[in-house]
Amino acid sequence: MKVFGVELTDELRGIVREPAALFFSIIMPVAFFALFVSLFGKLGGGEVPAGTAMLATFGAFGAISVVLMNPGIGVASDRERGWLRAKQVSAVPIGVTLTAKVVAALPYALGVLLAMTVTAAVTGVLDASPGAVLRLLAVLVFGALPFALLSLAIGFQVGPGTAAAVLNAVLLPSAVLSGLWMPLEIMPAFFSDVARFLPTYHLGRLALAQLTGGPALTHVLVLLGTTIVTAALAAVSYRRARS
Amino acid sequence: METVLGVRGARHSYGATRALDGVDLDVGAGECVALLGPNGAGKTTLVNMVVGLLPAGDGVVRVCGGDPRVAATRRRLGVVQQSLGFPTTLKVGELVTGAAVRAGASRSAAGPVLAELDLTDLAGRRAAKLSGGQQQRLQLAMALVADPRLLVLDEPTAGLDLPARRRFWRLLAHRRERGTGVLITTHLIEESAAVADRVVVLDGGRVRASGTPDELVARLPDRTVIAKTSIGRARLEALPGVVSVRTDGEHVHLGTRTPEAVLRVLLAEDPGLSGLRVESAGLEEAVAGLMNRGAA
Ligand SMILES: Nc1ncnc2c1ncn2[C@@H]1O[C@H](COP(=O)(O)OP(=O)(O)O)[C@@H](O)[C@H]1O
Ligand SMILES: [Mg+2]
Repeated sequence: MKVFGVELTDELRGIVREPAALFFSIIMPVAFFALFVSLFGKLGGGEVPAGTAMLATFGAFGAISVVLMNPGIGVASDRERGWLRAKQVSAVPIGVTLTAKVVAALPYALGVLLAMTVTAAVTGVLDASPGAVLRLLAVLVFGALPFALLSLAIGFQVGPGTAAAVLNAVLLPSAVLSGLWMPLEIMPAFFSDVARFLPTYHLGRLALAQLTGGPALTHVLVLLGTTIVTAALAAVSYRRARS
Repeated sequence: METVLGVRGARHSYGATRALDGVDLDVGAGECVALLGPNGAGKTTLVNMVVGLLPAGDGVVRVCGGDPRVAATRRRLGVVQQSLGFPTTLKVGELVTGAAVRAGASRSAAGPVLAELDLTDLAGRRAAKLSGGQQQRLQLAMALVADPRLLVLDEPTAGLDLPARRRFWRLLAHRRERGTGVLITTHLIEESAAVADRVVVLDGGRVRASGTPDELVARLPDRTVIAKTSIGRARLEALPGVVSVRTDGEHVHLGTRTPEAVLRVLLAEDPGLSGLRVESAGLEEAVAGLMNRGAA
């Protein structure tokens, strides 16, 4: 436990001491959210007011983008420097080190989500009970886990520059296809057909379900399945990595 | 003497390159063994196996009786790796404290080790900003902070100047008095002679010779005579005082401890001799010499 604390502290230091990276990965999705909310946030019509629904979908996008970039690029640069080898020869099992990397990304995701919640509240589009908002935040933080694992899996295979490119190439299209930026209802129909196969879609829907009280089970199961698959991918990827 | 490291039948290939071809090695408590060999000899590969980065294949590696692939075994182990880059976000003091906790020691162990390695004033600096020599000391501080039973050092003094190297050797001697076993790799004969109780010469993934520094130095050439000559290899090997013969393009390299005598015979037997030079013997001549004698 003490050892995990040391690993986690080092990872958190790594995050807060890179102010530029911290700034951009929080500011970008939040600014994006603010823009969309100010344009479309007051539209009515759906089950949930548009601005509040956007907290779920953009929140999903924000949380996913943070945890997708963070542990993967970190592990890729550790590997490139040779620092990962130092971790591997320490008396700490590598699983503990990697868990710390994943866990350290979660408060980071929470930071993005809180900034969005404040933005929504300040612009007056937030219309949900505090309980629903809390559930929404919890779902997004924990639902981001499989994406953090995918990030690790990619970080073990390629260098930090390539990792950033690959992860963005995964993130942006899945976000659009999953209706995280614009509602699927206004998109071509085939978007919805594709979306059902994307974990990003299910995280967005699971978040929305916290506001509508709609069914959540399918989404939870898909995300659990994705977690198992990405955990296995990360493990295989670690074994195959040349450190 | 208690054994802190035992290696039996270590073998490793990278694709078609056979890096280790059946190596046996032991290090006792308080003993310093130098692994001496030219670049590409397999030193780093063996070190990586000893510290648990590589599987031992069909061989066996035991650190204080345990398998270094198991994390708990590595609590007994301090490692200085050959090419290590520090993260840009962590400070010297944090790294040493972290290393203490990771190896099961208390945080307070960091202070004395920082002082011992003259890093106290740098404790608040980012590790990645230090000079090469300072980073080397930092790695050593991290390796020593939990008082390991076995210290594994891969070319730890590469890039250090001679005074820094001497200080490093003194520090090792001090640790050995406390019972720490040391495995150090180097491509410098002087270094192995200065620090080691026993030198193991590795080349082409095999142990070519081993013994105390004095035993080995007595068998090593200290000069290389280089020349273009028509004298055949068999005759060169038979010349009195010649310890090793190596050809390098048109030139032959003769390792010897008596260059004057060798020169006299060469000039007498080959009037067409040209391109003559005499140099201090390098490690390649030394290894060639040890192999010529069939030492093992
Ligand atoms: N990761 C690797 N991939 C392929 N070949 C390697 C790798 N590491 C080392 N080698 C090769 O294995 C041999 C031994 O290398 P190494 O153990 O690094 O030697 P040393 O440390 O004595 O210089 C060399 O021929 C080297 O080129
Ligand atoms: Mg090496």
